[in-house]
Amino acid sequence: MISHRDNNAQRIAALDERAEALKLKRGMGIADARAMHPAIDVVEADAEADRRLLEGLADWCDRYTPLVAIDGDDGLFLDVTGCTHLFGGERAMQDEILTRFFEQGFDVRAGLACTPGAAWAAARFHGDRIVAGGEEEALLSPLPLSALRIAPETRTSLESVGLRTVGAVMAAPRAPLARRFGAALLVRLDQALGRLDEAVSPRLPVAPLSVERHLAEPVVLTDDIERLVSRLAVALKSDLERRSEGARTLALLLFRVDGAVSRIAVGTSRPMREPQLIRKLFHERLAALEQNIDAGFGFDLVRLSVLSVAAFDMLQGDLAGEVADDDADIALFADRIRARLSDAAVLKPVVVESHLPERAVAVVPFAEAPQRRMPATDRATPPMTIYPPERPVRLFRSPEPIEVPATEIPEGPPMNFRWRRALYRVARAEGPERIAAEWWRPGEEGAPTRDYYRIEDSEGRRYWLYRQGLYSASQAAPRWFMHGVFA
Amino acid sequence: MAMSAVARDTVFALRRQIAKIEGTLPERLEVPAPGASADTAGSDITIVRRGLAVAPQDAFLRTGIERLDAALGGGLPKAALSEIHGLETRDAGAVAGFALSLTSLILKEKQGLPVLWIGTAEIFREAGFPYASGLHALFGIEPEQLLFSEAPKLPDALWIAEEAARMTAFAAVMLEIRGSPQRLDLTATRRLHARAQSAGRPVLLLRQAGEAEPTAAPVRLIVSAAPAASRETVAGPLAGSIGRPAFTVDIGKSRTALPGQFTLEWNPDEHAFAERAENPVAVVSASARGTDPTPASGAVLAFPAVASPAPGDKPSRQQRPAHRSPRRTG
Repeated sequence: MISHRDNNAQRIAALDERAEALKLKRGMGIADARAMHPAIDVVEADAEADRRLLEGLADWCDRYTPLVAIDGDDGLFLDVTGCTHLFGGERAMQDEILTRFFEQGFDVRAGLACTPGAAWAAARFHGDRIVAGGEEEALLSPLPLSALRIAPETRTSLESVGLRTVGAVMAAPRAPLARRFGAALLVRLDQALGRLDEAVSPRLPVAPLSVERHLAEPVVLTDDIERLVSRLAVALKSDLERRSEGARTLALLLFRVDGAVSRIAVGTSRPMREPQLIRKLFHERLAALEQNIDAGFGFDLVRLSVLSVAAFDMLQGDLAGEVADDDADIALFADRIRARLSDAAVLKPVVVESHLPERAVAVVPFAEAPQRRMPATDRATPPMTIYPPERPVRLFRSPEPIEVPATEIPEGPPMNFRWRRALYRVARAEGPERIAAEWWRPGEEGAPTRDYYRIEDSEGRRYWLYRQGLYSASQAAPRWFMHGVFA
Repeated sequence: MAMSAVARDTVFALRRQIAKIEGTLPERLEVPAPGASADTAGSDITIVRRGLAVAPQDAFLRTGIERLDAALGGGLPKAALSEIHGLETRDAGAVAGFALSLTSLILKEKQGLPVLWIGTAEIFREAGFPYASGLHALFGIEPEQLLFSEAPKLPDALWIAEEAARMTAFAAVMLEIRGSPQRLDLTATRRLHARAQSAGRPVLLLRQAGEAEPTAAPVRLIVSAAPAASRETVAGPLAGSIGRPAFTVDIGKSRTALPGQFTLEWNPDEHAFAERAENPVAVVSASARGTDPTPASGAVLAFPAVASPAPGDKPSRQQRPAHRSPRRTG
């Protein structure tokens, strides 16, 4: 028995057959139920977990159709248009769905109809029924008003005027109904009867291309999965070739026998269609996920979908039949690392126009970086500067505060400083190079300026320090930071 | 002369056979050491090196410093793993700078190829992330040529390095590791070395604050920062300024097993090394005659007044401008 809190009282939210046999009902207070049967077992409702379970089931239903939508707290819409023949017709498909759910331990009602509204009513009021086209009216007329998916207030007011079945509402004149109970009622009615189109919005975007393989014998081993991936990728390749496209995002869906679904996605930095390469990417991804994928009793359906595509440029090979493309090699290398580790595992620096050192070079993930240009042809010649500003070879991601006990002159370089608990004696110093904050950016108007110094310590190491702010009587003493290391 | 001619022939035949099995031919290496005189050791000494005999002239990256190249037996092997050590994490700047100057030399031959720099998250946090505009200014490596890879853990970094080392699309692969982790043992370095050999590309293993451990790399260099020379101006060296990057390079391991310490200076304009003389006299006073900035008031001594001699050609305390020296009263 599951309880939930409603109006400050614990009430029964759901109960099983044995509890029903004890004459307990939904909505009954837990205290009353306990008084009647002290031995009952009460579990607190967990809406979050229910939702997760429903989403898991929706994932699993992906095996029947890519168009799966979640309906409320306890329903799923499956748009099986054009899918039924794959499972041997409507009857066979519904039976299979019901059997499989039953084997997983779920008590499921299903209805199949031409409109979502009729299917909804059929599932909820008949349990296992297939409504042929045109029979919606016959199905709905004897049903109570709750079969129409209307708001409870509308339903009670309809019932108060004596309209207790859908048939009665259908028989009533439309204009007064709309005037009195709102347009929503008639919209729902028309949708259920197929006079209005109702779109079921799928919870996942539909993949432009996907290939799948049903397996008589479930697979468990990673090697087998990889082999299947390359076979599916071969099938995918011809489709991609026909569309002259390459895959940018690929997803591998592994349907476990007992209902769990694993979804493994990989991204590529350039369009790809070679089965060998696709297999390599999934090899890395599967190796990284080895701990997280629980094969259980095995996967009985494997699907490879292309989630996003991009135009694929054909390359002319040379006479030896080889296409030497270093960029492609590197892109594949980066993709494999991304598949195994994370998107941020391969980074590329991008020069940004900014005075602030930490902003002047942005480090972006490889896939997002602009493609490498041909070296030094289209590059504008840099402005001639006799002394380009000295920049360190390593920069700390966040400047580290240092202690500076004394400077020679107030605005001058430090004489010694303490960084990471070690004391450094300054042998030589160059500077300052004053870098002001970028006042035109919002939120940085009043930021203090920085005076950068190149410092060489007594052992010859070179550092880049800065003083934030200026010495003045009114303001707090400026702070010093270590920002980089020179070669 | 103990060996008879027959025995010698047998030895050579055996060596040739070994080389054939290994797929390389042994070659004679001249003995560059000035200490080992030819008359004491005799002409019997034959140092045989293996593994790099296919194209000996092309197989080495010449640093441009005669003494260092000779001590390394021709230069840094190109198709190999090379270790560059820093004694402390704070030497990371110098170690990275030296490795990047080697990369810059490599890029002279392979223009436009990208460079991959792999590091663990730890080292990039402790020693700072590579800064592309600094690398461009000093070593001429374009930001578009650079690829960084930040691995969360050491095994991941090693995996990336192994995958990258077998590719020919990179001009060089740098792997940066901090400390002396257990995972980076002889086997791991051997795997990297073998991949570098077969791909023919250098892999530089940067080890910050690492100890000298058994390694498969043929060369281990220990790099630390050296005080930079002053900037050169028309009027002579500018006192108190910090000039080109300088490194002190010790040879920790090499095929010739010759010891040596070198102070190298990197020329960012020509992208070449220059060796600094061992113990230069203070250069500032040499170019007197009015072009010098006014020396500080006080006695000018022939030797630095400080107890420890100023290393390198750092100008001594008295020769620095007045405003830089500590305040004196009276």
